[in-house]
Amino acid sequence: MKEFELFIGPQHPGITGNFMYHLWVDGDTIVKAEAHPGYLHRGFEKLMERRTWQMNVALIPRICVPEPDVNEAVYAMAVESLMDWDIPERAKYIRTMVLEMARISSHLLTMGGYAGSIGLYTVGQWAVGDRDYLLDLFEQLTGARVYHIFIFPGGVRWDLPDGFLRKLEKVLNYLESRLEFYDKLLFANEVFFRRAPDVGVIPEDKAIEWGVTGPNLRACGYNYDIRKLDPYAAYPDLDFEIPHYPKFGDFEVLGHGCDCYSRMLVRRLEIEQSIKILRQVIKKMPEGPHTLKLPNPLAWKVPAGYAYARVESSKGEYGYFVISDGGKMPYRVHVRGPSYTHGINVTETIAKGLNIADFSQTIFSLDVCAPDIER
Amino acid sequence: MKAEQIFKELGLEFEKLKVKGNTLPRYKAEVKPEKLEEAIIKFKSNGFNHFVALSCIDWIKDEKFELVYHLFSYKEKEDVFLSIFLPRKEPKYKTLRHLFPQIETYEREIHEMFGVEFEGNDRLGEFILEDWDDMPPMRKDFDTVAYAKKKYESVPLIDEGGEKE
Repeated sequence: MKEFELFIGPQHPGITGNFMYHLWVDGDTIVKAEAHPGYLHRGFEKLMERRTWQMNVALIPRICVPEPDVNEAVYAMAVESLMDWDIPERAKYIRTMVLEMARISSHLLTMGGYAGSIGLYTVGQWAVGDRDYLLDLFEQLTGARVYHIFIFPGGVRWDLPDGFLRKLEKVLNYLESRLEFYDKLLFANEVFFRRAPDVGVIPEDKAIEWGVTGPNLRACGYNYDIRKLDPYAAYPDLDFEIPHYPKFGDFEVLGHGCDCYSRMLVRRLEIEQSIKILRQVIKKMPEGPHTLKLPNPLAWKVPAGYAYARVESSKGEYGYFVISDGGKMPYRVHVRGPSYTHGINVTETIAKGLNIADFSQTIFSLDVCAPDIER
Repeated sequence: MKAEQIFKELGLEFEKLKVKGNTLPRYKAEVKPEKLEEAIIKFKSNGFNHFVALSCIDWIKDEKFELVYHLFSYKEKEDVFLSIFLPRKEPKYKTLRHLFPQIETYEREIHEMFGVEFEGNDRLGEFILEDWDDMPPMRKDFDTVAYAKKKYESVPLIDEGGEKE
């Protein structure tokens, strides 16, 4: 027998969540891959049709575990589009702050997971430890560490607690000082140089057509970021760059782009940009109300219509297509998660010809998040 | 080419969706099912080469399913939603996965969750659900409570004398 079958997941250290890839291998080369989602299906879209507009806010963060805030933000933006609400400036800044904090914490987790897949386990332990400082801030701000239920249609739930921005500044300084250690351990590591370049390549000319978005698209050399392209919250007022292949600053450009190396470096550089954005937010935070005066929560009447809102999550384009029939509950909500394309079609296609040992680093570098595939 | 111009050339009427939060314009148009492929090819060749998503909506009162094909152009910075309506009884359409490969995945999900048949897609079948034995669950007439009662009869609901946690 020449080919044999190999299952990676749903319980496997080399998988990015409760998710499975069914591989057919010849020797140690993959000849075919099939994605099998379903282990995390909780029927969110159906549940949302049975809950009021406001009850859903408590439900949706659970769609993406490592970065739950993007769900709250897109849902809120879609409802605001239907309601025709303009939110206060301060709410926009607080949203930006929350989203950028979430981006850093999600990138830290991805870096840790990726490093583990090439045998550098220390990065994961450090990253989880450093992420905890951000979770502490989230706890102080929202009362919860992982699922914050903080961004509401109309603004945010609470104003900043006293001294919060000072604490945030401290954590940013700490995280910035930690980056050089991550560089030494992972991004300037011989293992990374030898294993990551030109592995798991997405053809550059196909990237957009295949629905690749976010850092994975920027690793292919496209300078596209929804924060600049379709700006939301306070991003138009803030100054930041979009790291993309081959603009890697002080880092060496190895490989030809669209590979594990570029994808991870884009994420590493985005952490720097997020810190830069957060510093500006601290400086510019306007005074004023943090939310609109909301109508009676039990009797929200959302005008009938269609609305689509999107944000740049740490994984790519995250969008909600929300349809209202004028009732107390959404008529239909469709979640467009970035991993839906990255985890299924893209991975199934680029896995052909990969070595088994490179498969895990490829899916970690694509940052496939299983819960937003099946919701 | 701008979306308005393409709509004009295709002879389609469109509406602009309300946008708050984001800034780019979004256009939605209804297309006849037999004209959809032509319309998508036209948009794709004019810069709308990012296929964002395919959504399905069950309009049970009108006895129709709506399929919304969502395209985006990085060049023109515009969103386009093309929707077709299918009869709710025996909904059938052809696959468009040759235009954008990720449409295949969306079709698999819609086939499983709404029961829409896509001719030419050979990967329809079990995708997210496993051993499903009822009507497609995202349909509006699927009753989750009744299903839970039937499927899990050993666990009585609180209203029927079950224990509170």
